[in-house]
Amino acid sequence: MRSLFSFLLVLSLAALSGCKPSEVALTAAVDTATNKKITLAFMPKSKGNAYFVSCRQGADAAAKELGIELIFDGPTQPDPAKQNEIIENWITLGVDVIAVACESKDGISTALRKARSKGVKIVTYDSDANPDARDFFVNQATPEGIGYALMDEAARLCNNSGEFAIITASLTAQNMIEWQKHIEARRLAKYPDMKNVALRPCDDLKDKAQAEATILLSAYPNLKLLMNICSPAVPGAAEAVKQAGKSGKVKVIGLGLPNENKRYVKDGTTDTVILWKTVDLGYLTVQAATALAKGQLKSGATHFEGGHLGKFKIVGDNILLGEPFKFTKDNIDQFDF
Amino acid sequence: MKPQQLTRIWPQHETVLLLFIIAEVTYFSLFGRRFCTVDNFTNIVRHSLEIGLLALVMTPIILTAGIDLSVGSTLGLCAVLFGKLWRDAGLDPWLAQICTIGIGGLCGACNALLIAQMKLPPLIVTLATFSLFRGLAEAITQGVDAFTDFPESFLFLGSGQLGQLPIQAWILSAAAIGVWLLVHRTTFGRCFRAIGFSPEGALYAGLPVRRQLALVYVLAGLVAGLASLTYTARFGTAKADAGTGYELFAITAVVLGGTRIFGGVGSVHGTLLGVATLAILNNGLSRLPNLMNIASELSGIVTGVLLLLALTASALPHWLKANQK
Repeated sequence: MRSLFSFLLVLSLAALSGCKPSEVALTAAVDTATNKKITLAFMPKSKGNAYFVSCRQGADAAAKELGIELIFDGPTQPDPAKQNEIIENWITLGVDVIAVACESKDGISTALRKARSKGVKIVTYDSDANPDARDFFVNQATPEGIGYALMDEAARLCNNSGEFAIITASLTAQNMIEWQKHIEARRLAKYPDMKNVALRPCDDLKDKAQAEATILLSAYPNLKLLMNICSPAVPGAAEAVKQAGKSGKVKVIGLGLPNENKRYVKDGTTDTVILWKTVDLGYLTVQAATALAKGQLKSGATHFEGGHLGKFKIVGDNILLGEPFKFTKDNIDQFDF
Repeated sequence: MKPQQLTRIWPQHETVLLLFIIAEVTYFSLFGRRFCTVDNFTNIVRHSLEIGLLALVMTPIILTAGIDLSVGSTLGLCAVLFGKLWRDAGLDPWLAQICTIGIGGLCGACNALLIAQMKLPPLIVTLATFSLFRGLAEAITQGVDAFTDFPESFLFLGSGQLGQLPIQAWILSAAAIGVWLLVHRTTFGRCFRAIGFSPEGALYAGLPVRRQLALVYVLAGLVAGLASLTYTARFGTAKADAGTGYELFAITAVVLGGTRIFGGVGSVHGTLLGVATLAILNNGLSRLPNLMNIASELSGIVTGVLLLLALTASALPHWLKANQK
């Protein structure tokens, strides 16, 4: 047994050192090949998530149009450590550009910085890394855009006056506090007759949102609308309104995914679900990443021509996807995520 | 051919596994993209350290016919507590590291007490602590707090190089040699197999069964504490979900390496080969041009098939012999 063990050690050392010459040869061969064709590695937070599956549809379409090679890989479950490992593997694989939706900002930035130091271009989309770890962030929605869209839609449904309540995930979530600030700013500026009577947290749970909504419905009999700014709260609030028999009388809107709200949108309980077109997000990300790799997109640019989707604004190092999209009874069937 | 002859010429499990690894490396070198490079082998070693460490200490546990499902959760709890000690309690990084390994040992001692002293079944005890330790880690951080911005001297443990090799290669080699000597070269270690074959028999033979059992679980806790440090250093962040699912990867590597899940039979070098087989497979599949996009799903399937094949192959001669009679 001892001899077997030492044999193994020797073998593994030999494998490590013996690889050097072939590495040089291989690297050279692949590099001349990639001068012609760009390799783009595209990572979701998790592969099974319907949201990212639809991002991929757009990414595939863009890759086909541009004639580049697209590698799509990521953790099967949201797992920041696995994201790091895949990025480190992509560096040694010799990809030209990486597009990634980051599960953990600080965790992934180490690996991304390493990639940049080896000359790999980095684009983040959906959720950003630290700014010094990437070249551009494809920003699907600014806090301002989300806040304004929610408030405008609420005012439209209430004819510009009446009471509404907000259900959020937690009172400390940074992004939601930011959205609320813009909702309030918009209300003050444009809809002074709208009155925000309550703000309740639901811990990002559908059940809790349903319970909170039920309490709000009985505590505020004049309530005209429930605005839900975390995705589980939208179906949660809709279920509460439906069970209270107030479908149509108390409106429900919010940020969420079309699929989990389809039922309530179709039966008229939920009026509008606000999000962005995820297919376009994937498409724009691949367009921008490819342009970056080819040197056509440089820092300091103020706009970007994103294939068949047209022109996009760039603010700082954020490429903006634009206004949020409204899913309603009329169009929700066209989306599956 | 008679079954007896078959048993005699049937190759050792470890030899088959070694041949399989050589086949893997050859195949991926030929068809994978930039597989056979120093950078890539460095990556493979760096990424398999934590699972390797856990698999190494899982081997003596399974040899005694036990199991430890809590090692991944111990890793998570230790990572979070290391962050707490360093950032919130303001401990010197070195002192915090030593305390973290100690905490890992305490987690292991908790299992050891219930299994060795109270004689409760390891599967259930560690299933409970699996949930308990992860739950504690999540409660301490409320599931969202993450520790980051560790000092450079600590991050060396994750990204540093000593000589030509990554730091992980040295740690893994040292741990492998240590556990191998314990299991294969000490009288104390040989008793693990005796306990696995027959705990009652071992007891009547005068072996210190209780002390032996306690030791393997405490050792697993200590090493899980060490793994939490290398994991945190490699990743640059400590969060409550660190090491989720690692206990199953470790058990897979041990069983693939030829250790019998009912105890008594197995080897540490087999486990190392098991770890290498899986690590190379994961890495290589993600480099095959046409399969890159489904690499992670595919590696799940191939791992499952391999495990079944390995189990069947090692059971075949015994099965044939039994059916002859």
